[in-house]
Amino acid sequence: MKSYALFQKDFHSELRTRYAINSLAMFIIVAISVILFSIGNENISPGLTGGLFWVVIFFSAMSGLSRAFVSEEERGTSLTLQLIASPATVFTGKLLFNMILVFLMNIIITLLYSMLFAEFIIQNYLLFFLTFIFGNIGIAISSTLIAAIIAKAGSKGTLYPVLSFPILLPLILTSVQLTSFSIDGIPISEAVFELAIVVCYDIIMISASYMLFDFIWKD
Amino acid sequence: MKNKYIFGGIIVAVFLFLMIYLLTQSNIQYENDFAKVMAKDKTVKATGSWVKEKSYELNKENKTFTFYMADHSGKEMKVVYHGTIPNNFESAVSVVVTGKYQNGYFHAKDILTKCPSKYEEQNVKSSSM
Repeated sequence: MKSYALFQKDFHSELRTRYAINSLAMFIIVAISVILFSIGNENISPGLTGGLFWVVIFFSAMSGLSRAFVSEEERGTSLTLQLIASPATVFTGKLLFNMILVFLMNIIITLLYSMLFAEFIIQNYLLFFLTFIFGNIGIAISSTLIAAIIAKAGSKGTLYPVLSFPILLPLILTSVQLTSFSIDGIPISEAVFELAIVVCYDIIMISASYMLFDFIWKD
Repeated sequence: MKNKYIFGGIIVAVFLFLMIYLLTQSNIQYENDFAKVMAKDKTVKATGSWVKEKSYELNKENKTFTFYMADHSGKEMKVVYHGTIPNNFESAVSVVVTGKYQNGYFHAKDILTKCPSKYEEQNVKSSSM
């Protein structure tokens, strides 16, 4: 329950400052309009829209999600947090918060994307939905862990995407493939392997984060 | 406390192996036996050569490109590709088509042509002085 209290604290302070929400919203709008302008009247293939979709998701995640731990460090409250709660509790609270942010962000991206791009037509909704859920969980877990790592470093802004890229790469690659499958309307029975890879990634990342977070947090 | 690391480590290791195994499985497989290509209901990369006796056909209305391919045992298969004729198609030594066999012909999504090497060994006249 302590982790829920921590989540509530983060949620309220976010509603007050709106730092993460603003930076996510600005990034989504800028990225999607740049893609929209650069495409112009050209016809792009549906497979390409699936790839661009994940590019927008990756970089928006990079712009907003590092706040979870950076804000604690900036306000100097991380030591207090270490005193009152165990590392696992802190991680659960922050993970909940980032999970909400990722889902919110990606629902907005998906809505905007399907409105603005005529080529982005999903034929297998269930497959896309599953990809979306598992992909988002994976992004939230990895980004929370990396946010904790970089919170104490000097140049946070550049270090975050650089560290995230190799860790998120397997997830992004498989998700791009799954998205193009769902655009092509391939049945789920043929995409089982790819879906299983994403689920495996989520399980690996969540168990690794709970193990490694103790060491990150105590230093 | 120590149990947590052992247990977590086992989970990570097991799923990592599972993930690597799945990664090797999920890639599209090459197939050079057309009997197997026709039997399968999966996307494969069929390799073979173009049957030059049966000429290719370009349909401008449907924007399709149709030709016949033969595998190493001589089994022929009709291939339909949505698009134009690829570069160097006529000089290709072998052709790799990615797609699925349906309704009596192969629906190709992608065609790769393998061109004869420029650097093949040639019979050079020995220039003895």
